[in-house]
Amino acid sequence: MHIDRYERYWLMAVVATLGAFFAALVATLVVFGVSLPSPAGRVNPQNLAASEFAEPSVRNIGGNRYEAHIVAKMWQFDAGPEAGSPPTIRVPAGSEVTFYVTSKDILHGFQIQFHTVNMEVVPGQVSQATVKFGRPGVYEIVCNQYCGAGHAVMYGQVIVQ
Amino acid sequence: MQATQVQPVLTRVSFPALDMLRSERNLVGVHIASALIALTVGIFMGPFQSFHRAPAFVNTFLGQIPVFSYYYQAVTVHGVMLALFFTTLFIVGFSYYVVQRSLQRQIKGIQLAWVAYALMLIGLAMLVFTLANDVQRSAVLYTFYPPMIAPAIFYIGLVLLVVGSWIAAFLVFWTYNAWRKEHPGERVPLAVFAIIVNYLMWFISSLGVAIEVLFMLLPASLGWIQTTDPQMARVLFWFFGHPLVYFWLIPAYVSWYTMLPKQAGGRLFSDPLARMAFIMLLLFSIPVGVHHLYADPGVSQVAKFVHAFLTFTVTVPSFMTAFNIGASLEIASRNNGGRGFWGFIFKQRWNDPVVASQLVGMLLFLAGGVTGLMQASAQINITVHNTSWVPGHFHTTLGGAVTMTFFGILYWLLPLLRGRALFSKKVALGQAFTWLVGMVIFGFTMGEAGLNGAPRRADLANSPYMTPEAGLWLNGAAIGGIILFVSVVLLFINLIGTLFFSTKPVEGEAPIQTKVEVASPAIFERWRLWIAIVVVLCVIAWGPVFVEALDFTNGFTAIPYTTSGAPLR
Repeated sequence: MHIDRYERYWLMAVVATLGAFFAALVATLVVFGVSLPSPAGRVNPQNLAASEFAEPSVRNIGGNRYEAHIVAKMWQFDAGPEAGSPPTIRVPAGSEVTFYVTSKDILHGFQIQFHTVNMEVVPGQVSQATVKFGRPGVYEIVCNQYCGAGHAVMYGQVIVQ
Repeated sequence: MQATQVQPVLTRVSFPALDMLRSERNLVGVHIASALIALTVGIFMGPFQSFHRAPAFVNTFLGQIPVFSYYYQAVTVHGVMLALFFTTLFIVGFSYYVVQRSLQRQIKGIQLAWVAYALMLIGLAMLVFTLANDVQRSAVLYTFYPPMIAPAIFYIGLVLLVVGSWIAAFLVFWTYNAWRKEHPGERVPLAVFAIIVNYLMWFISSLGVAIEVLFMLLPASLGWIQTTDPQMARVLFWFFGHPLVYFWLIPAYVSWYTMLPKQAGGRLFSDPLARMAFIMLLLFSIPVGVHHLYADPGVSQVAKFVHAFLTFTVTVPSFMTAFNIGASLEIASRNNGGRGFWGFIFKQRWNDPVVASQLVGMLLFLAGGVTGLMQASAQINITVHNTSWVPGHFHTTLGGAVTMTFFGILYWLLPLLRGRALFSKKVALGQAFTWLVGMVIFGFTMGEAGLNGAPRRADLANSPYMTPEAGLWLNGAAIGGIILFVSVVLLFINLIGTLFFSTKPVEGEAPIQTKVEVASPAIFERWRLWIAIVVVLCVIAWGPVFVEALDFTNGFTAIPYTTSGAPLR
């Protein structure tokens, strides 16, 4: 099969570029540790009382590290009574927070604006992400997966002090 | 047997350039007409959604944006009617036309084609009915993820659409087989080759969504089962969901490869490389769907990176297409008097709406391809996943390359079907260029709004989390929406004008190739081999994902809900 000389060059350039792109992805994962959400456990959405999500909360687990257990449901995030509703999560600048999120009813999303937290929240699955809040400010937590009539008002806030 | 069989007269029917066979006109015509009905129902929802999300518009009109009251109904109608019904009906009709004309024989089992059409039409009626009638419960969007469950009629209508398209696929395979037996050693025309690829890919991939609908969603909707598995449903859906976009794109490529070179005044640069590109699309369009599941908790990181790699691979045939079509357009331009190194780019038939529409589609596809590669880059996806960046992207691919190419096809096919010239070339050109401007603005502003934190598919008018920056960009998207609205009006002036008010006779001829001038390797038509490779690739790339999604410990525990927040029962 005849392949034109210029097309050969073009294809070589394409393959080289795509190879470089993919290498960059792997490097981002391996060298810089920026990973995608991956399986972090399962829960029974109809019996969250028997799971780590029985009492949603934001806890300091020593130093500047925090752990947040959040239950998403139509149409609010429940991060415990202390955080209130809609939840306001207050952490000092420089904190590293690990979020564990699950859903009690249908699909939801969990995105923190301007940070690398963006997960599908699926009933039966635990979504997990760790993020460091460097700059003080108010960052919205947005449900970004369609979840019915009240979807657009399902939110929360992280206040970094 | 042989003695009693009547030799089918239809195979020897002469295929004139312009006059259409009555059977052909009827069959193709009803598909195109039904596609246009779906288009009409769905397309006006687009601009009004962008108005609904723009703070400036909502404040000016005190929330009284007309056309629809419930935002998520509009999203569902827009997605279901345009992405599922308009595309499928158009593609099935266009495929019948191309196969009949290229092979110069009538489609086999034409009675079955009418059965298939009836199924799809009933499906369309069912969806229009339930979307209008059961506003809240049917608003599950065109991705219909459980545990949100729609009325059963929603799923039955979609099943009828898919079954109809399967029958159409089978008839094309049957016709090709008959042609093959009569033409041993010959190469099938490129357009038919691509349509076979498209239907093979469609059939294999739609098995995923068929299993999801038939065994999970429909039984839940009917009350036969009480629980569902949302993660598994997403895996099954996206087994189908990415090949779906290639099912839309390949017919556009058919036009670019086999019709545009002639329409632009040249010839195709390389037929064999076009076939290679289509084979690559067949092989690599299915084992890439996990790139829609990058943010899912139930899919392992290994699978995500395997699919990221394969996603980069499936862009190669599109880069090959870019070269091949670019070279073909250069040939056309030099024939038309294009000079110099860059001259060929501008010396195109911009004043011919058929050519201009497709060029507009290609220009938008440049943006769509680049943004697509960015989204495929696993970690970058986390910054844009489920934000309005994503609809910004696919309105330049589906809403750009595919739609504008389909409109370009309509601008010659509709006059042929009607037997009258296009109502107005100027209005058609106006439509194409307003679409280009509107979609560039819409795509760019939606992307920026997404980067500033605006989610997709959300009725943002009253959202407490809207940042001022995102609000500004969404106002920009609404300006794009206004321009696109004008474009749609221009389109309908031409459609209605051509159908009812055009008096001039149709001129020109159908841009169909019937002969293969350059031989390609015979291996390209060894379909069993390619299907086997597709199956192996799917098992490797999807097998582990399915096994992982199957929840042996406490799966199938989420009960179905309705969109208003109540459990289904």
